[in-house]
Amino acid sequence: MIDRLTAALGRSRADYTEIRVERSWSTAVTFRGRRLESATASEDQGGFVRALTAGGGWGVASFTSLDRLEAMVARAVELSRAVRVTPPIRLADVAPHRAEAILDLDGDVRGVPIAEKKRLLEAYNGELLAVSDRVVDTLASYRDEVSDYWYVNSEGSALHELRPEVTLSGTAVARRDGTIEKGLESIGLRRGWSSVQDKAVGFREAAERAVQLLDAPMVTGGAYPVILDPELAGVFIHEAFGHLSEADFVYENPQAREMMTLGRRFGKPGLNVGDNGAAPGLRGTLPFDDEGTPTQDTPLIKEGILVGRLHSRETAATMGERATGNARAISFRHPPIVRMTNTYIANGRGSFEDLIRDVKLGVYACGAFGGQTLLENFSFTAAYGRMIRDGQLAELVKDVVLAGNLFQTLDRIDHIAGDFRWNQMGGGCGKGGQAPLPVTEGAPHVRIEEALVGGDVPSGSAT
Amino acid sequence: MIERLLERARRRADGGADALWRRGERTSVAFEWGRLKAAGVAEEAGVNVRVRHRGRVGVAGTTAVAETTGVATDDVGAPLLDRALASAALGEELDLAFPAQAPLPAVATFFDPAADASLDDLIGIGRSLLEQLEREGCRVNVTIEREAAETRVANTAGAAGAYRSTAIGVSAELWRIAGDDVLAIGDTYEGADLPSDDALAALVRSVNLRLEHALRVVAPPEGALPVIFTPLGLSALMLPVTQALSGKAVLQGISPLAARVGEPVFDRRFSLTDDPLLVGRAASRPLDDECVPSRTMCLVERGVVQQFIYDLETATRARTHSTGHGQRSVFGKPVPGYTNIVLGDAGRGTRDGGDDLGGGLLRDVKDGLLVDELIGVGQGNVIGGAFSHPVALAYRVERGTISGRVKDAAVAGNAYDLWKRVGDFGNDGRWAGARYTASVLLDGVSVARR
Repeated sequence: MIDRLTAALGRSRADYTEIRVERSWSTAVTFRGRRLESATASEDQGGFVRALTAGGGWGVASFTSLDRLEAMVARAVELSRAVRVTPPIRLADVAPHRAEAILDLDGDVRGVPIAEKKRLLEAYNGELLAVSDRVVDTLASYRDEVSDYWYVNSEGSALHELRPEVTLSGTAVARRDGTIEKGLESIGLRRGWSSVQDKAVGFREAAERAVQLLDAPMVTGGAYPVILDPELAGVFIHEAFGHLSEADFVYENPQAREMMTLGRRFGKPGLNVGDNGAAPGLRGTLPFDDEGTPTQDTPLIKEGILVGRLHSRETAATMGERATGNARAISFRHPPIVRMTNTYIANGRGSFEDLIRDVKLGVYACGAFGGQTLLENFSFTAAYGRMIRDGQLAELVKDVVLAGNLFQTLDRIDHIAGDFRWNQMGGGCGKGGQAPLPVTEGAPHVRIEEALVGGDVPSGSAT
Repeated sequence: MIERLLERARRRADGGADALWRRGERTSVAFEWGRLKAAGVAEEAGVNVRVRHRGRVGVAGTTAVAETTGVATDDVGAPLLDRALASAALGEELDLAFPAQAPLPAVATFFDPAADASLDDLIGIGRSLLEQLEREGCRVNVTIEREAAETRVANTAGAAGAYRSTAIGVSAELWRIAGDDVLAIGDTYEGADLPSDDALAALVRSVNLRLEHALRVVAPPEGALPVIFTPLGLSALMLPVTQALSGKAVLQGISPLAARVGEPVFDRRFSLTDDPLLVGRAASRPLDDECVPSRTMCLVERGVVQQFIYDLETATRARTHSTGHGQRSVFGKPVPGYTNIVLGDAGRGTRDGGDDLGGGLLRDVKDGLLVDELIGVGQGNVIGGAFSHPVALAYRVERGTISGRVKDAAVAGNAYDLWKRVGDFGNDGRWAGARYTASVLLDGVSVARR
């Protein structure tokens, strides 16, 4: 394949050309309630060409029929010529790499019959259903994929990777009369069949939580000291800060550059944030990004000060900085854009107990149903919460939605515990129509002095 | 084409089969931060097949098909069927009957001006938008996409349909960053044909109007207040209802509307229709992806729940008929999905509100909000109706006029409760994605501030 792609590159009349080809095999099994909803095997293949001519813009072409490779290279060149860009697009220097990377398949999923995958998921789904007859519905899914990935560019890079991925998720829906609650378990790994065995406990806990939430009151809306568990803290740093550190947002926008000037204080000393695409064994980890740049650990905030950002080759060249290996595409259907990999808040000191000890009334927000950011503003839905009263964990509460302004909230992080962990969840990140991109987040417990928690509003709810 | 694949399937699957083949070509141009930056094409072709064998149903899909011939070269067709049969061997029993051929309604889905537009034509649309939107202190992103597709669907019961379609998407997004205040205002045009000059002018007007009102930042109000939701801001209130009207949610036992057919659940002015036969909409088509002919379907009429949408499988399980809402991609199995949703009375309001936001509803509001975009819609327990979202773009309304943009505010409520009493609809009915609505005034929405 590399030879074929290199030959196609040779015929390109552009100044810069890159080609990606992917061929992937995947299986997906879904249970809903006691019923198998689907068990399917799919095969997907295709290619992507991106070309840059002198004074031209990006010409891109994607295709599912590999017979079209040569024609699509020509097409991408033609499209690049049709777009005039001043000043011209430049790419930061990256030494060409030639590599063959077979990631640890950890029990190659392609060798496991789909019937066995069904049995595994049926067992986990059974754990959800067995918890209580209040669990009226479940959604359990298993998905695996192995992708053959080839990348070449006209600067001499030639990469071949075999990339595994496996995700497992379970949602339990508990119901009593008109009240419906959910509990969620989600695991996403860049590994194989061996890594999804013995996961029953997490599924059981998710269902138990859904049932417990039926009796939980809605949190009373207002401003509280809030402690984020490592899972929600990870989602928080990804959503609220990570996206702002993606250089495609700032590189050609003077006002945005000013807002994100390196050296600006974002938080108190003790706040350290980074993105590490090379961290071993994580879902967001790969040896190279989709421009052939090696991945790395990129510090973003050091002791509260903005020190770095995430780059593609184009954004790095424009800003006079170095490429960081963050140009990623979810598949051959898409161009690489600046994305996160494994984003983290680094460890602080002390325990969870140290964080809540002096909180008179606060909220412990746990797990994440989702999060969205609109740059300075963000919103997260925690899976559940516990009130903190007089330094102790108190009752379970539901509908904990955290909303805030990034700048204020980061600056209000006043205590970071020393219990860091990576959260290897399924799902993924969405941006520019590309979702879900495999990413990981990691954090210890984090305390925010004051944050707005949505929920029942004391001045009169509409319900 | 897929006929040969189905011929093979007929011999190997005792309960029949159906298949969908789709080929599309998409052309796109992107202006990034005010500069034309990229042009692209995407070609995609794939086939999805479903078989019923020994009472069980299985599906398989692939993009490994020859571009020119469509599919069913034997070396692709056979393994694809193998996989579909393997999938069926694991499945539960399902008494799925593939529909026979039925007359198909005529609906225009292919528009030559859209299909024939050159790259320069698309770039021209973008340039013109850019020129009208750019101003000091703001940056603009514009993307234009054109898709031309061909869809074929057929089954072993003799039903078949094929159509060509076009779709155009134009999106413009204006960013203004002043210190730490980030303001993003966007709008889109989506249709089956190229946008008219009027449609582009409306897009520009929409962005400009919302920007002008946003330049002044005011403190948000607080309490249970009247809130106007614009067509773009209505998602949080529509999503629970559309989810609950899906036959799939009814089957799962999670739809709050399940047992309420024939009952008045909403305000009398709330009517909801799904219409796959609207001319000029990208979601329109003569038949669904399971060979069921398209028809206009009233889901809620004057507040009374009428019916739910079904695809073949959910209809079979619910012992009813498919409503023609089967949607399938190359991968996975069909699922029930909407086409073009129209919220009734929308746009037929009698108000003469001029051209301001809210379609004439502002004057009814002494102190409240106008919500244009919320953050986090779709997260959490949507179908239950409760929502709580910070605002992304909202304005304070005081004494019948907009006094400025509010930040750091959140709105909460329950969609089912709020839809029980609609204050009024505005006269500004428009498409927002695949949904046609006017602005709506709802009373008693919780507004919290930080």
